[in-house]
Amino acid sequence: MWIFNSAFGKIFKLIFFPFRGMNPWVGMILISFLTALLMLFVFRFSSNQEGIRRVKNKIKAHLLELRLFKDSLSLSFKAQRNIFRYNLKYISYSAKPLLVMIIPLILILIQLNLWFGYEPLVPGQETILKVELEEGRSPLDIDLALEPSAGFDIQTLPLRIEEESEIDWRLRAREKGVHDLTFIVNGQRLTKKVAVAQKPLSKISPMKVRRSFINELINPGESPLPRDLPIKTIRVKYPAKDMNLFGWNIPWLLGIPPWLIVYFVLSIILGFVFKGIFKVEI
Amino acid sequence: MNHIDRREFIKLGLAAGSILALGSSDLTIKAFGKRETPQKVLVLGLDGIDPHLLQVWMREGKLPYFQMLARQGDFIPLITSIPPQSPVAWSNFITGTNPGGHGIFDFIHRDPERYFPEFSASETTEAKKTVRIGKLVLPLSGGNVKNMRKGRAFWQILEDYDIPATVFKIPANYPPVATKQRTISGMGTPDILGSYGIFNYYTTETKELKEDIGGGRIHPVNVIANKVEARIPGPVNTYKKDRPESSIEFKVFIDPVNPVAKISIQDHEFILKEGEWSSWKRIHFRMIPTQSVSGICMFYLKQARPNFKLYVSPININPGQAALPISTPKRYAEELEKRFGPFFTKGLPADTKALDNDVLDDGEFLEQDNLVLRERLNIFDYELARFSSGLLFYYVSSTDQRQHMFWRLIDKEHPSYDPGLAKKYGNTIENIYKEMDKLLAKAMEKVDKDTVLIVMSDHGFSPFRRSFNLNTWLKESGYHTLINPWKQGREDLFLNTNWSRTKAYSFGLNSLYINQKGREAEGIVKPGAEKEALVREIAHELEDFRDPKTGERPVLRAYIAKDVYQGPYVEEAPDIIVGYNHGYRTSWAAPLGRIPKEIVEDNTEKWSGDHCMAPEVIPGILLTNRKIKVKSPALYDLTPTILQIFGIEIPKEIIGKPIF
Repeated sequence: MWIFNSAFGKIFKLIFFPFRGMNPWVGMILISFLTALLMLFVFRFSSNQEGIRRVKNKIKAHLLELRLFKDSLSLSFKAQRNIFRYNLKYISYSAKPLLVMIIPLILILIQLNLWFGYEPLVPGQETILKVELEEGRSPLDIDLALEPSAGFDIQTLPLRIEEESEIDWRLRAREKGVHDLTFIVNGQRLTKKVAVAQKPLSKISPMKVRRSFINELINPGESPLPRDLPIKTIRVKYPAKDMNLFGWNIPWLLGIPPWLIVYFVLSIILGFVFKGIFKVEI
Repeated sequence: MNHIDRREFIKLGLAAGSILALGSSDLTIKAFGKRETPQKVLVLGLDGIDPHLLQVWMREGKLPYFQMLARQGDFIPLITSIPPQSPVAWSNFITGTNPGGHGIFDFIHRDPERYFPEFSASETTEAKKTVRIGKLVLPLSGGNVKNMRKGRAFWQILEDYDIPATVFKIPANYPPVATKQRTISGMGTPDILGSYGIFNYYTTETKELKEDIGGGRIHPVNVIANKVEARIPGPVNTYKKDRPESSIEFKVFIDPVNPVAKISIQDHEFILKEGEWSSWKRIHFRMIPTQSVSGICMFYLKQARPNFKLYVSPININPGQAALPISTPKRYAEELEKRFGPFFTKGLPADTKALDNDVLDDGEFLEQDNLVLRERLNIFDYELARFSSGLLFYYVSSTDQRQHMFWRLIDKEHPSYDPGLAKKYGNTIENIYKEMDKLLAKAMEKVDKDTVLIVMSDHGFSPFRRSFNLNTWLKESGYHTLINPWKQGREDLFLNTNWSRTKAYSFGLNSLYINQKGREAEGIVKPGAEKEALVREIAHELEDFRDPKTGERPVLRAYIAKDVYQGPYVEEAPDIIVGYNHGYRTSWAAPLGRIPKEIVEDNTEKWSGDHCMAPEVIPGILLTNRKIKVKSPALYDLTPTILQIFGIEIPKEIIGKPIF
């Protein structure tokens, strides 16, 4: 899985490379545009374009029928029934491209979350480093040490929470850069990357997870932790990234982060804008 | 400022009304932006700086910039207000009048119909029209919060002439009066409970579990499996029929061995070491799904083990999402919050109650006040840098707060003097004067030949060694009668007073009222000659009284209101304003109508310096970079001085005279 994550992640690195120093909106518009193109492409080649065109015309015709024969109750009902029927058909024609899109889209979203979901730390900023152990494992019994790093001050002694099988530290970012936090667990060395004061558009991996398909799929930012260690995750708390539109911070909406709202809205708008050019029937 | 109002008012639950009913009030939105003025005025309002101490440390070369300014211009004691309480004194400065002109006579006024104390500075009313849907109560109109000070503020007059002003945290301006100028309210601004500041303290230590302390709530907690679960009480939920108290739950995870703990509250998670303060945390009290009240607070892990002790500061109004009006325009507070992050908005930010109640010790209190000071200095740098026209007024409270709390450590005669603590913290007051010298240095660097620099304080300071129970004195002198003499000292609010045989009573810190027929609900003294004679008799006897322990006169002067006040509100004034002598002040019990047995007692509190004395005892300071032409300038003279500098005709209501 890590090989796939690494390769897939590199594509995004390549896409965003020229735009890292620019306002994240530039990268967002670009990736939304590419996503719109991808969606149009998938739609164009995986859907029954002729069928879609036909049912859309049918729906239009029955809508017209509804207006023309509004005085006739029986015709109106018939028209409504047909509109409903062709709508279902339209949905069935759209289902296939949507099914084709869903997996790549999830993979894209997981990658985008690394680029747009978090703000890097700034020098002087404090954060919590959290090591989550496997269930039932007491943090008092594990031989785990955090090595000092040039990029960070370790500000507290380890805080061990037995109930949560967790060990926490408070760190303060010291220097710019992507730093490795090094742990020694049962004599084995582990590292976790931490980003400090990166360019406006930077990839940030908040969590390093133990090797497993689902874990790695959802957290593709770093190589996984070995299975033989009692550590489930190592997490660094980063602030959430704001999407600022002319001074207005786009708010979270029902738990959906601002970047995701922007991404969906832009992708849909751009999809509609370019569907004529690429002659795609949506 | 004084602490009796907070201590007792909070305990009595008399704090200003619900924050919720108010919604957010946008007094003015239009942008500040005015003409360039050839002259500029920079005023540093350093609360409570004392001319005597200043002179001593200037002479010793410890305050080089104060010395330099005094040499360049002038340094003179500034006559304070009668009485020299901060809301009164700053109102004199704001309006150019005395209490007869602005109607603020004391921290505490009284309702003569009910013999009941009222906050003098502001009044909060809830929404008048509501609709009830099941258990929900929805307001149909906004509530209101009103600044009770009368008279126009000098920055309102400047606005009339298109002269820009930034007024930072001036006391006695909550809610800020309507203006397009940049202002943010200072002393008098409540916390989100609508009180003057209530801290929360969570502890497992049984000896500390006296929950009924003024200005704070003590919460007994248990540590179970190295975890504490508790809640922070919030404002009353007026959206619900039975008005329950809102609250936010939080958890604290403590390491089994190391002195560290993690606090988890709403979307915050942070680790504190023992003896460490958190940064500001924004918290939200949810009222109904669409409405919440936002506040900010700090956590201090006093001890993780063996006893768990966690202090949570009073919940300040969040300047970024202010539920009450704290600035004009509203976005001024938001602008500062955006630039500097959350900052103290509560009127008097340092928690003197926590120190008084041993929840914070001297060092911890100082750490907190250092946070206040750091915030103030950061914002000062910002405001000073962009000050290019008109007026900038900048206020500092730490000077006042530290003198209140640490005077006991510079005064060997004080009942609370502790040589050990004096060795450690005896230089606290001197240090804050030195900090102000650094602040002044920055200001002096900024001023050019066209800028008038005024450094002023509203009053000085005096030791507060002995407390005078004014109501007890009235009772012992035959002017006040109790229903049950054996109950003396047990009840507040004159619940044991026989009004039909009482001629005088005292509410507030310096105010004495005659129980006047036709004015008080059960008044017995006829207005006119009978009252006049009584007022003079009481004033005379008060000044003659001697402390049996020291032989000194606790009351230096008893001022008769109509002799010392001018203006349309003289009739609302107390009949006598009691001016205490050096070392004396009203007791902690008297201001809210309790009548202890002793007339004069030792003050053993940490609140050991004060200024609610006779104005002669504690003048303020006035330093300027111009020569002062007036021999004895008073606070209300500074107002016309500012107007004159800008060439503005002085309104006839102003009683002061320009000093240059």
